[in-house]
Amino acid sequence: MGTISKRGLAALAVASVLPLAFGSFSAAFAKDKVKIAFVGPLTGAISPHGIGGRNSAELAVKLMNAEPNTKYEYELVVLDDECKPNVGVQVVTKIASDRSIIAAIPHYCSATAIATVDIFNRFKMPMVVWAAVLPEITYAKKYPEVHRVSGILIGQNRIGAQFMKARGYKKFVSFADSTDYGKSMNKYFTQFTLENGNEILGSFSVPPDQQDLSAELTKIKELNPEVIYFGGLTPLGARLRTQMAKFGINAQLEGNSGIMGDAFVNAAGPELAEGALTFFDSPPLSKMPGGKMFADAYKAAGYSEPPEAYGPFAYVATRLVMETIEKVGPDRAKVTADLGDVKDRPSIVGPVTFDDHGQNITPLTTSYVVQDGKWVVWEESEYVSGKRKLKNLP
Amino acid sequence: MGMIGQHLLNGLMQGTIYGLVAMGFTIFFGVMNVIKFSHGDVLTLGAFGGLVAVWAANALGLSVPLQFIVALCVAMALTAVVGAGISHFLIMPLRNAPPLNMLLMTMMVGTAIREAIRLFFPNGTNPQRFPELLPAGGFNIGPSFFRTDAIILIIAGAASIGAVYWIINHSKFGLAMRAVAEDTETARVMGINFGRIIPLTFALGSITAGFAGMIYALYYSEINYSMGLLLAVIGFTAAIVGGLGNIWGAIIGGYLFAGLQTFVVAAIPSMSDYKNVFAFVLIIVLITWRPTGLLAERGSERV
Amino acid sequence: MTPTSRTLVRVPVWPLFVAVAFAAVALTALVLIENQRWLGAALAITAAVCFCAARFGGVAAMEVAASENPWLLRGLIMVASLAVIFVLRDDNFGLLMLATVLIYATICLGLTVQMGYAGLTNFAAAAFAGTGGYTAAMLGQQGGLPDALVLVCGGLVAVFIGSLLILPVLRTRGHYGALTTMAFGVMFNVFLDANDFFGGPQGLKLPGINLFGWDFTNDIHIFGLVLSSYVNYVILTGILTALAMIFVGLLDRSWVGVWFDVVRLDETAASVFGLKIAYWKVLAFTLGNFLAGLMGAVYAKMTGFIAPANFTFGDSLVMVSIVILGGIGNRWGVLPAALIVVLLPEKLQFIQEYRLIFYAVLVIAILTMRPDGLVARRVRKLHTEASA
Repeated sequence: MGTISKRGLAALAVASVLPLAFGSFSAAFAKDKVKIAFVGPLTGAISPHGIGGRNSAELAVKLMNAEPNTKYEYELVVLDDECKPNVGVQVVTKIASDRSIIAAIPHYCSATAIATVDIFNRFKMPMVVWAAVLPEITYAKKYPEVHRVSGILIGQNRIGAQFMKARGYKKFVSFADSTDYGKSMNKYFTQFTLENGNEILGSFSVPPDQQDLSAELTKIKELNPEVIYFGGLTPLGARLRTQMAKFGINAQLEGNSGIMGDAFVNAAGPELAEGALTFFDSPPLSKMPGGKMFADAYKAAGYSEPPEAYGPFAYVATRLVMETIEKVGPDRAKVTADLGDVKDRPSIVGPVTFDDHGQNITPLTTSYVVQDGKWVVWEESEYVSGKRKLKNLP
Repeated sequence: MGMIGQHLLNGLMQGTIYGLVAMGFTIFFGVMNVIKFSHGDVLTLGAFGGLVAVWAANALGLSVPLQFIVALCVAMALTAVVGAGISHFLIMPLRNAPPLNMLLMTMMVGTAIREAIRLFFPNGTNPQRFPELLPAGGFNIGPSFFRTDAIILIIAGAASIGAVYWIINHSKFGLAMRAVAEDTETARVMGINFGRIIPLTFALGSITAGFAGMIYALYYSEINYSMGLLLAVIGFTAAIVGGLGNIWGAIIGGYLFAGLQTFVVAAIPSMSDYKNVFAFVLIIVLITWRPTGLLAERGSERV
Repeated sequence: MTPTSRTLVRVPVWPLFVAVAFAAVALTALVLIENQRWLGAALAITAAVCFCAARFGGVAAMEVAASENPWLLRGLIMVASLAVIFVLRDDNFGLLMLATVLIYATICLGLTVQMGYAGLTNFAAAAFAGTGGYTAAMLGQQGGLPDALVLVCGGLVAVFIGSLLILPVLRTRGHYGALTTMAFGVMFNVFLDANDFFGGPQGLKLPGINLFGWDFTNDIHIFGLVLSSYVNYVILTGILTALAMIFVGLLDRSWVGVWFDVVRLDETAASVFGLKIAYWKVLAFTLGNFLAGLMGAVYAKMTGFIAPANFTFGDSLVMVSIVILGGIGNRWGVLPAALIVVLLPEKLQFIQEYRLIFYAVLVIAILTMRPDGLVARRVRKLHTEASA
């Protein structure tokens, strides 16, 4: 036993000295490698968002590494959480217990993020959520490691409800998917719509993979609302819009961040998508400093998938993590401490300020409408000038 | 309840699709004692093949009716080839393995097809818009709105069911098929080309999937890579509840399932969350009551 | 092997040492290796060694040695397990995966009793595991009950829920039975999604296990070494798996196993011999569900979070595929199959979105090349038992 431990000690000593020697020797030639991890859904129905986010995070790392004056060379470790909490727990345990990975940019799905925040806290790994929107992720507990650049879904629903009231709509029907996302959307939609004195004629909830909506739509046709509110993601949203038309339901569609993106317009077709509304926590990229650079670089990188709505957020989160590491060095505790102080940091989705729960509290919620197959900012659309009209305007 | 006619029509349309899918399951089972779970994904493949055909026909400048015919032919040909291929390369070599192995195998084949569409079809994870090739519009009877395309599709679906029934019961090929189903060894001795009948049977069953895929695509104007999975679960359920190996059982099962789903939403909309819970509870009750299906098959089988 | 030759020739025990040592090394390597090229090499070597062992009589020698020296085998497995834990002591992720593999393996042992022995079909194993997990979560919210009891309650509630299905399960067979359990599995999921009382689609959080005053979230300090807190879970799940293995083995070797065989293979014959078919089927169904519920509770406690998405029909399929890939009816096959099915998707993270299709193709390949599974079921030899 004694000899083994002596030999072990010797090996340990050699092992610890070698990289030191080589490290200082090679520093003149190459930068130290620093690993950060991206986690998102890369398989399953929500994978376009995960893949768009991954591409954007990869792009951020590439651009950072191309800058000559950085101290470190970054490597992105990519993991698939399948949008399932148990898989999320597994992969986060994997990256969090790997000390060579300094920080993470995790999760599109809220239930997954809610399951993993405890692990980030336990292993003291700093992270910046790039897309999940349920309030509980940041507000259920006060973990210093947990931050989030995407806004919480309360804000978009508040602004949406005020917007619809300002147009004069009174009768609503809510149609949400049966996931945590849809249920939460429906909850805040209901709260703010009732606060604004409007009426909800009925609420429907369907599994996100349900194909045939005819039973629900027949019922909705009977209720005859002015507006159908949709709380869910693109596949179900496109299905709803298409089948609404088939049933001759001529209600205005009020969406939210879940259908923001070209995929919705493509799947429903430009004619049917026309006039659909959405409230999303970021102004268009072209409006933001550096936004055009991101769009051009994304195109130049030759990704075959679009960044989707939350790609820019993944880019911002990745960039934020790397900037922090540049500043304080690859040390988890220091990165956590420094991320807590982020205030008015300019980014392509607007300035980022974390509150004491690590939540970005300055999302620039913007109203969008589909016009000629494109999502256009409401204030700049032909709907404001009166050239086009929303449906069922009273 | 003024919308009762509307709900009836919805249920009829859904039931036709479910019934067609269930019929495929029952054909495979009747002849080969195989549950082919990849059936739903073959259906998806047919619909995507149809979509590509429409794009190509549109690019060639063909008229809408011609586009429709091209799409239908491509969808059916594609599913026939794929179905026969799956039977020849994957199912036949395993035909003496336990039924559970076969079930797992076909589920994995389905997964492979589904993932291949998602990964290799351009932008495949996102839902795809399917062009409207049938006359739009419709007419009102009372408060109910009858879509022209829905009526055409229901009639087409019913006609295809009739055609398959005729092939199985009145054609020479159907006779050979039934002989193989009854007793493979005797059929071989009687000079029936076993090696040809089996792939043809799978091709026939898969063509119904291609047809159902087209009905689906035309009715919903939207297709996606994972639509086959749920349809397979429902089709399998319908085929079993109706009684495996019995075509009419499969059709009844299909309409029954559609009716159950529609009824819950129509009668108690606040419980629309729970409609699949109701549907499946009733399925379990039904299967307990009639353990070999509503229209029982001839012999019982076991795993 | 005839009785006479057995008494004359002394069976060498070294193949047992080699086999256990090889299994331990292979397991550790598979858990530890992250580099894809090394992983491929390790898998190839493992497969080659297994193939050669089977081809040149190594497996047979090992089996003879094992049946002659059961306690030596158990002791060796014990030592090897401790060695594996020692090597992996601070690899949190490796230990978590190991515990997950053991949990899946134990649930699948339950499935082996149901599907392999009694010939039932169960496509709702994940739902029964989920029942156990949700029981643990709900009891945890109330507090008061010691965790040892909470885990057992997980199993008991799964048995209770399962008993609601007894009638349809007894009345149906084959594909019809598959449908009954499949419908239940899907229903379980939809119900949890729709229902807010059990946390809805967002799921529930629950604290780690605290067994007889020992908190499983603490690291273990022993002989000056620090072991990761996950070692607790590996030891607990290891013990449970070992107990289940021994129990299922005893069941198989006893007359109960023979009766299960008769019930599965020929119900008419079984009733002619006066066996109460329903009784044995209910017994198998109950045993399997208890194991699923128990391990589901452990799993929920270990991951600290459960949601309906953890217990879908797809997860039940994964469990059935473990039983089939391992070789239906062979309890040993469950272990390598669970290892492959649980660990491989995790190890394949580097191919990112191509993981699922790769996995599907791999399962198809195994099914085509080894239709009886990795470790095929043995035909029961009654005469050796009679002579012993």
